[in-house]
Amino acid sequence: MNKKNIWIFGYSKSTKKIAQSLNKDEFFINIIDQDENNYKDALEDGYESYMFDITDDEELEKLDIKPKDILVCIMDDEHLNVFLTLSLRSFCPNNEIIAISHSIHATQKLKMAGANKVIDIYQVSANRIHNIFNKPVATKLLDNFISSSHDISFREISVPKNSIIDGKTIDSLNFSIYNIIMVGMVDFELGNKFIFSTTNINHKIDAGDIIVCLGKDNDLDKFELILKENIS
Amino acid sequence: MDNLLVRFAFWLHSSTRYNKIKKFFHTIMEDKNSKLKKYVDYFLIFLIIFSVVELTYSIKHQTNPIIHYIDFYIVSIIFALEYILRFWVYSDIHKDIIDNYEKTKFLKAKFSTIDALLYAFHKKIEYIKSPVAIIDFIAIIPMYRELRILRIFKLFRYTKSINQFVNVLIAKRFELATLFMLLMFLIVTSAIAIYAFEGNINKNINSLFDALYWALVTSSTVGYGDISPITTQGRVLAMVLIVGGVLVVTFATSVIVSAFYEKLTEIKEDRIVDNINKHRSFVIICGYGQMAKMLLRQDDFNGKYIILEKDPEVTKQIAKEGFNVITEDASRRDVLARFDSTYAEISVLCLGKNDVENIYITLNAKSLSKNIKVIARASDTSMEKKLQLAGANHVIMPNKIANVMLLAAINQPVMYGVMHSILTGQNAAYLDEIIVHEYDSLNNKTIEELNMKENKLLLIGIKRDGDFIFNPQPNIRLHSNDIVLMMGLKISIEYFKNRYQGI
Repeated sequence: MNKKNIWIFGYSKSTKKIAQSLNKDEFFINIIDQDENNYKDALEDGYESYMFDITDDEELEKLDIKPKDILVCIMDDEHLNVFLTLSLRSFCPNNEIIAISHSIHATQKLKMAGANKVIDIYQVSANRIHNIFNKPVATKLLDNFISSSHDISFREISVPKNSIIDGKTIDSLNFSIYNIIMVGMVDFELGNKFIFSTTNINHKIDAGDIIVCLGKDNDLDKFELILKENIS
Repeated sequence: MDNLLVRFAFWLHSSTRYNKIKKFFHTIMEDKNSKLKKYVDYFLIFLIIFSVVELTYSIKHQTNPIIHYIDFYIVSIIFALEYILRFWVYSDIHKDIIDNYEKTKFLKAKFSTIDALLYAFHKKIEYIKSPVAIIDFIAIIPMYRELRILRIFKLFRYTKSINQFVNVLIAKRFELATLFMLLMFLIVTSAIAIYAFEGNINKNINSLFDALYWALVTSSTVGYGDISPITTQGRVLAMVLIVGGVLVVTFATSVIVSAFYEKLTEIKEDRIVDNINKHRSFVIICGYGQMAKMLLRQDDFNGKYIILEKDPEVTKQIAKEGFNVITEDASRRDVLARFDSTYAEISVLCLGKNDVENIYITLNAKSLSKNIKVIARASDTSMEKKLQLAGANHVIMPNKIANVMLLAAINQPVMYGVMHSILTGQNAAYLDEIIVHEYDSLNNKTIEELNMKENKLLLIGIKRDGDFIFNPQPNIRLHSNDIVLMMGLKISIEYFKNRYQGI
């Protein structure tokens, strides 16, 4: 299995958990930090690590970043994080850049600097508080679905060619017989946008499309197996 | 006798009926949050105004004997009843007697009825001596007609702004008393001087009282002109008195104005607290930072919130943005005690960066009432555990939440979009829960009958008696108290709610 290359900029106390949570069989993790202690920590934790001044473009250019690599900007310093995102975007125009933001203003700036996905630490927390107030049961269940502490979870499934759902429309399929719920899909014919099955459009599922399903883990396993085995 | 009194006190203490009646009267007389009290207050205000209007009208007109009868007897009796009720609910004599009895028992001393009664009545006397009680008492006496005009002072009890004005004067009593003494000295000295200068020459000054009257009228710069100095010494004295009087009045005015200015923020904040306490449920946000800002951007809790911020400069800034904010340290017990947790459903949000402070606020809130819901922010897992031990109902760890999202964005980029849409409540992915009530038309319907697919809704599951039924079968029937979890377009969910909720 080809490992994905991931470059994580920042290895502080609050962000090192991100690297630690990534599956080492799936990702080749590179850590870059300008703080010596953080750099040493990363080395001790067994990661390929680099230490240099993040604002130094020459050093950044020396990194062997491939177009499909994922770049993660999680520096604790907000200004540095924006600057880094901008620098990376100028060197790597096609790479996926994911960044963490600590304020509304930084979120806007990170987006302007070229980050593909910005996770605003306070916005997601505020959303959570809002959800606790307005839909406490749904929030608790959703937490369990996301954190996999429940046997029900979300799963992305790539549609195999000639599988039983290839070429079918969403309306014509009954997912409940597999005891799963199809939440939505990425229809590559229509671009990369995720389409929820609750929108009033009847999509045709093609091979290579990604569907997102919610269900019990064993039901999802069974369904994936059915898709792979029952290739017409 | 001693024994009888204590037994009677204990009997009253255990009597549910007596306590219920007393609680009722306490509510209508003293409970600021009671609607009934409001009606009683309006009624009493009406009686005060009626009485004063009747008195004013009757000075030059013949009033209807029935109206006079109502004012003389009925209004006075109602005010007397009010006085007695307030006197009764002010303290519990029986509790004080029991308290005294238990203390003497503990100290193995002899219980004395007289001492116990003196101890119990001590609080009642405290009430009798209070200014509002004195005004109430005067208002009962209808015999001397002119005294009835004093009933207008009863309005003090019901008008907060007058109370606030009085409080400002009380706060500056030392400065005002000093100025008053200075003014008195000026007036008395001037009165004696003018009496000495003109007592035998000026035909309008026949006594020391006339001299005092002249000094007061002159010092206040009113100057009726009925008495005026006729000698040069007298005129010089008048000039000095006028200048001195103006100075004292100016000083007094500036003292009162500055006292008001000092109290203005306090008065405004008291109003905010009073207003929030009127709601049946509200949110107290402790600490105004990025998270609170974000939260209020997407949910203003229908105005039913209050921010407690320690830094006065930050408070000013937040107030400018139009938020309900007061400068208070939420970690102080007396601050949270200002909010009525017995009457309202209170949620406390500890959103500050300081974990220790958040734990302290949580403990504070929970020690006030277990019913207060606390949502607290924590910086790491060890703090999360401590906050849970302190009683927090939910703990928010911004870094943890962001990390989950970031990992989803790396591991499952499509899922990230799904999660983000659901968590932020975007239109197409609106996740909602519907509670089935006994009289809802939803109750007793099968899943098949709900036509979820036709309504373009995804039925995720049903929460029933603590269990979660995922993707329920079409033949499953909904029961009351079930919570139905569904996802869809916001409009679809609203349509569904309108169609099935209610009878």
